[in-house]
Amino acid sequence: MVEVLSGPTGRGSYSGALLEVENLQVEFHTRQGVAKAVNGVTYSVNPGETLAVLGESGSGKSVTAQTIMGILDMPPGRVAGGAIRFRGVDILKLPEEQRRRIRGEGISMVFQDALSALNPVFPVGWQIAEMFRIHRGSSRSDAKKKAVELMDRVRIPGARDRVNDFPHQFSGGMRQRIMIAMAIALDPEILIADEPTTALDVTVQAQIMGLLADLQRDSNMGLILITHDLGVVADVADKIAVMYGGRIVETAPVHDLYRNPAHPYTKGLLESIPRVDLKGQELYAIKGMPPNLLEMPSGCAFHPRCPYRREDCATAVPPLYPISGTRGSACHYWREVVDGSR
Amino acid sequence: MGRYTIRRLLQLIPVLLGTTFLINYMVWQLPGDPFAGRCGQRPCPDSYVSAMRAQFGLDQPILLQYWQFLKNMLSGNLGVDFNQVPVVTQLADAWPITIRLALLAVAIEAVIGISAGVLSGLKRGGFIDNVVTISTLFLLSLPVFVTGFLLQWLLGVQFQIITPTVSDEAPIMELIVPAFVLASLNMAFTARLTRTSIVENRRSDYVRTAIAKGLTNRRVVGVHLLRNSLIPVLTFLGTEVGSLMSGAIITEGIFNIHGIGGLLYRAITGQDYTIVVPIASLLVLVYLVSNLLVDLLYGVLDPRIRYE
Repeated sequence: MVEVLSGPTGRGSYSGALLEVENLQVEFHTRQGVAKAVNGVTYSVNPGETLAVLGESGSGKSVTAQTIMGILDMPPGRVAGGAIRFRGVDILKLPEEQRRRIRGEGISMVFQDALSALNPVFPVGWQIAEMFRIHRGSSRSDAKKKAVELMDRVRIPGARDRVNDFPHQFSGGMRQRIMIAMAIALDPEILIADEPTTALDVTVQAQIMGLLADLQRDSNMGLILITHDLGVVADVADKIAVMYGGRIVETAPVHDLYRNPAHPYTKGLLESIPRVDLKGQELYAIKGMPPNLLEMPSGCAFHPRCPYRREDCATAVPPLYPISGTRGSACHYWREVVDGSR
Repeated sequence: MGRYTIRRLLQLIPVLLGTTFLINYMVWQLPGDPFAGRCGQRPCPDSYVSAMRAQFGLDQPILLQYWQFLKNMLSGNLGVDFNQVPVVTQLADAWPITIRLALLAVAIEAVIGISAGVLSGLKRGGFIDNVVTISTLFLLSLPVFVTGFLLQWLLGVQFQIITPTVSDEAPIMELIVPAFVLASLNMAFTARLTRTSIVENRRSDYVRTAIAKGLTNRRVVGVHLLRNSLIPVLTFLGTEVGSLMSGAIITEGIFNIHGIGGLLYRAITGQDYTIVVPIASLLVLVYLVSNLLVDLLYGVLDPRIRYE
């Protein structure tokens, strides 16, 4: 058995990407049938790299992240196939006790709504200090001292005085900082941020994104940023994976994707961002509704809403066609999309 | 919190005055002359009745009687009952027994009710959950006197594991089965409340966070989940302490326990209001104080509740 967490010295003793998700399939068994929430997702993150996973609700982006963390509710959820390799080891095959030790130490997660994600009845400092006490066996006073340092590091003003305050006594942005402090406490190699700014107002969003970017630069961790907000990712992400209906429909380095999307869905998303220079014109919206996971459209899941669709789109599932380098598009007619002819 | 406590304590005064006045007033309004039947087969002579009336102040207006009662309660001098036995000594003998019984019942409620609720809530739809659901339904649908007589007959008479009735000193060991009977309804309710609370909180975000922090399952459940789930359960247990004491009347009757329940029962049938009134007033006080304590406890358990 390979010990995944062999301490800080063990880092770097693997070949390949730091975290690789390969052909992951996750199903939910409900009374109405089986919903394939994640249907063959493949992506990878390296140290110091930021991967933005983009997609609307129900696209499978959060389920993928929860599966990586091992916090998926099972049942109803079930991993039907694929692998998640962390430092070369498939963590899906590890016994629960080893997976537990990876959580927080190797891979950490920041959640969307910090008010409900923090425990309401314990002081924030206690919740941060718990990481050191459980994973490192630190004493109460040591752990508390480290908690104050972390609160300083995520720029909470007056950290020393606020360490015994409860989550409800903080503002939304400060609460999210505490979540982040808790997640980075043990210096994890991968940080997953699941819509970390969705519940915050715009000015605070920028601060939190800036904080995440700074922390990542300091510690060289891999960051998986899950969002549905295209504006958030442009500045911080290195590469983007766009998800639709449980699949990745486009992967690209961030600037290529913004400059020239290669999938009709990505293109639709970019066109639906409000723009100042088009003020007064009707806002573009992708027609139709997101797919029902229980009744996935045949062929390409996006075809009922796609302006580029042809007859074979309803029958043949498009693979992720390689375009160049790390770029790929799951559209039979990606050339037309890139050329911009509609 | 300090100012809140003082305000709540001050609020107790008018409530206590109101309830004790009502108790005094209504008890003397009950039909029947308490002294008429005290002379065996013959009616009591008028001289006896009027002497007794004068001794207990029944010939005075109700407000004056109430004033006298207040003075007596505050000085701790409760006088004698209709048999000329000091009331205070009777209460002093009975209260400790009932308090012991009630505390034992609360302990049983808490330990068994919470454990059963947690176990069934964690594995919803599992074997334990079904056993708990059915047995709590069973307990909830049985009146206390049925459970009481059933256990007394089964354990005391048939299997002779326990003595069917409790001796005068009421030692803890003999009180276990009566306390279980007294606790049965609340225990079932506690189990259900805990179960609902656990089921509700189990899928909550902060539990998911606790798992994502890499805590052991034991710590996730035992610290993060339990601490939140027990808030409504502990407040329920607290508010029920008062009703547990007055509910002891039936249980004490079945197992012949000489607590305030039995004392109160005998006093009511004997129309001896010198005992009924102080006991009823003290029960009101227990209710009020335990409710206040629960409210204060709530603020301690849930930091989101703050009293200024």
